Amino acid sequence: MQNTVSKSQVMADHTVTVSRLEEVVSTADEFDRVVSQALPVLLDRATGYTKRFLRETGQWNDDIEHEKFALRWGSEYLERFLVCGRTEVPCRPLFLFDSLVAKQHSKPEPFCYHPDLLRPLGRFLDGLVARAVVSRDALIALYHHSYGWGPGEVIAATGLNGLESQRIYKNFRRWRDSGWQRTMDEMGLTKAELAELSSQQQRHRQRFNSEGERLIRVAQAHYRKSEPDHYPCLSRSQWREMFTQGYGCDYRIWHLALCLDCVQTAWGLGSNGSLTEEKPRLELQVRP
Amino acid sequence: MGYEEDLETYRSQRLQSLSSQPSRSVRGGSDPIQVYVNERRVGELEGVGVDATLHVKNLEHIETIQLRTEDGTLLGGLVAPEYGYRTSRIQVSSDAVELCVHNTAQGGALNAAFVPAPSYWSRTWKALADVADRLAIRRPDTAIAHSMRTIAFTQALLAILVVGLVVDRMAIWMSPERMLASVGQPEALRTVSVTEMEKVERQLGELARIQEKVGTALETQQKGMAQLHQTMAKLSSSHESVASSVVMVKEEMEKRQEGSETDRPIQRPVSDFVQKEQLEAAIKSLTVDNARLSNELARLEEHNQTLSAKLQTASVNASKAVAQNPERLLASQPDVESKNQSVQAAESSQNSQTQPFLFWVTFSDGTSQERIDQWVHEKNGRKGAVNEGWQEVRIVPPAVPPDLFLEQIRGEKIVKAARIRE
Repeated sequence: MQNTVSKSQVMADHTVTVSRLEEVVSTADEFDRVVSQALPVLLDRATGYTKRFLRETGQWNDDIEHEKFALRWGSEYLERFLVCGRTEVPCRPLFLFDSLVAKQHSKPEPFCYHPDLLRPLGRFLDGLVARAVVSRDALIALYHHSYGWGPGEVIAATGLNGLESQRIYKNFRRWRDSGWQRTMDEMGLTKAELAELSSQQQRHRQRFNSEGERLIRVAQAHYRKSEPDHYPCLSRSQWREMFTQGYGCDYRIWHLALCLDCVQTAWGLGSNGSLTEEKPRLELQVRP
Repeated sequence: MGYEEDLETYRSQRLQSLSSQPSRSVRGGSDPIQVYVNERRVGELEGVGVDATLHVKNLEHIETIQLRTEDGTLLGGLVAPEYGYRTSRIQVSSDAVELCVHNTAQGGALNAAFVPAPSYWSRTWKALADVADRLAIRRPDTAIAHSMRTIAFTQALLAILVVGLVVDRMAIWMSPERMLASVGQPEALRTVSVTEMEKVERQLGELARIQEKVGTALETQQKGMAQLHQTMAKLSSSHESVASSVVMVKEEMEKRQEGSETDRPIQRPVSDFVQKEQLEAAIKSLTVDNARLSNELARLEEHNQTLSAKLQTASVNASKAVAQNPERLLASQPDVESKNQSVQAAESSQNSQTQPFLFWVTFSDGTSQERIDQWVHEKNGRKGAVNEGWQEVRIVPPAVPPDLFLEQIRGEKIVKAARIRE
């Protein structure tokens, strides 16, 4: 009886929240207030839309990996809505939110979906590469997680100057302090799953790395399209010219972090002999 | 941990992370702000207390703008209008970023400017100016008009007063009486100093009042300049919109003209007389054509009769031949059938080889037409229709299965997406 009453109470609250979201808000502060009271409703709504999109495109399975994937993207849309929506006032928040999600889902390949990227190793790599697109800390840390490099090796491999070098050290520090943990939380990787990945990394290194290389290529191919259009793969002579002339700092950092092949192509050009002659191979690192 | 429990934990974690947003104080004082247009990184704004700016021109429409810290935290954003301007001031800690986005038919443009927090002294000055502003009763329009003259006058007055004060002080300190007094009569010095101090205080009071007036005048001038800037911006925007409207109207008129010339020739204005003449000519031509067709029909009927006669003769001959040697005909029949089958098979394989493989593809944003043409040429393909951004491409059927071929295509740098169905 009590359970029924509480359920009906929840339903009534939900209806009130939704109807409030359907009303016009006039100021950014009012938008913040109304939306912050309705976060669970909006998250469930965005997750529901994402599930429907996955079902309709034949990418859905009834398992926890898919549920987490839908939740992850639902929260991603909601985060963007919280920030951008307040510039759209006056508006009806619910309709604005629906249009934002619909706009995302009308794009070709709105997110990087691959069944293998839903398993722990895939989620780990997808999370790293996806974060690298929006965070410079994660982008620089990708060199560490892919090849086991420290700040010095990243600076040498990308041929950076003094001022840029300082930023690399800062990026590394922030990633270790908070960035890595936040990314793992965002991907829904539990402590047990991370421990299992570390164990695999130590016990079956070769298999772990070859599986990692296969998956990271899938993720990189998707997310590299988010980099500026004028950052395509280059030949060794073109890379040499860029390193020698000292331009294209952003180009080097962005492209090389997200392209395994170009790291091989440009290897040794920026180091002045401080790097080994052997070309780098993927040596996945789970911890920062 | 069970399925439901694990999922519920993850959901709570996501909600907690969202409710603690926006963490606007995360950014370090000197860290640059990353600027994203349509979820692609386009540059950064230096955030080290200087007025840094970033200008971005996009070939396609700007839909969203996002500002992020180096650790990826979303600081703020803006949804751009489909056409026209939108400005927004986004507070980042104590600093701010001013965004101005402009979408036209030709693409989008973004101006981002970092506005650092005002320093302690400028805040103090502003506070004083505000106080003076409240105390002073002014008419804004005349104040703006005469601001320059007021500033010049007060500056000159201030300079004269300062010079006078310095000369006065120098004269007092350099006079021999004062030197003597300072050596031998400390009590007298104290008296003189008190009077001097009162005088200096009065002068300082006057100075402060003048300074307040200068501050007020300066602020008025700044406001005037800001209004002028706004007016200029509005003027330029309206000028641009008028120019674009003129271009659009011209294009529309040209299109209409072309359309009326090619698609709707009947609607051209003609007189009744000309219409009648045209009608008569058409009727004449139809009559002639009708007669010609009747002749042709008669000729074809004759030919048909001849052919029927020939067929009858041939069938009579064939029945005679069958009666003479029936075994030979039965033996040759399978040969004929197998020949027919092989010809059909060859035809069908030829058909499948000659039938092109059709797929649809979209290219990465900003890919030039030349590059697309080159890509299609490399595939030995031909471009077809374009539908909602999807380019139809026909190529010789690939050696690999279609799914694998599409995977390969999707992996290419300039390709955004590819599919077989429209």
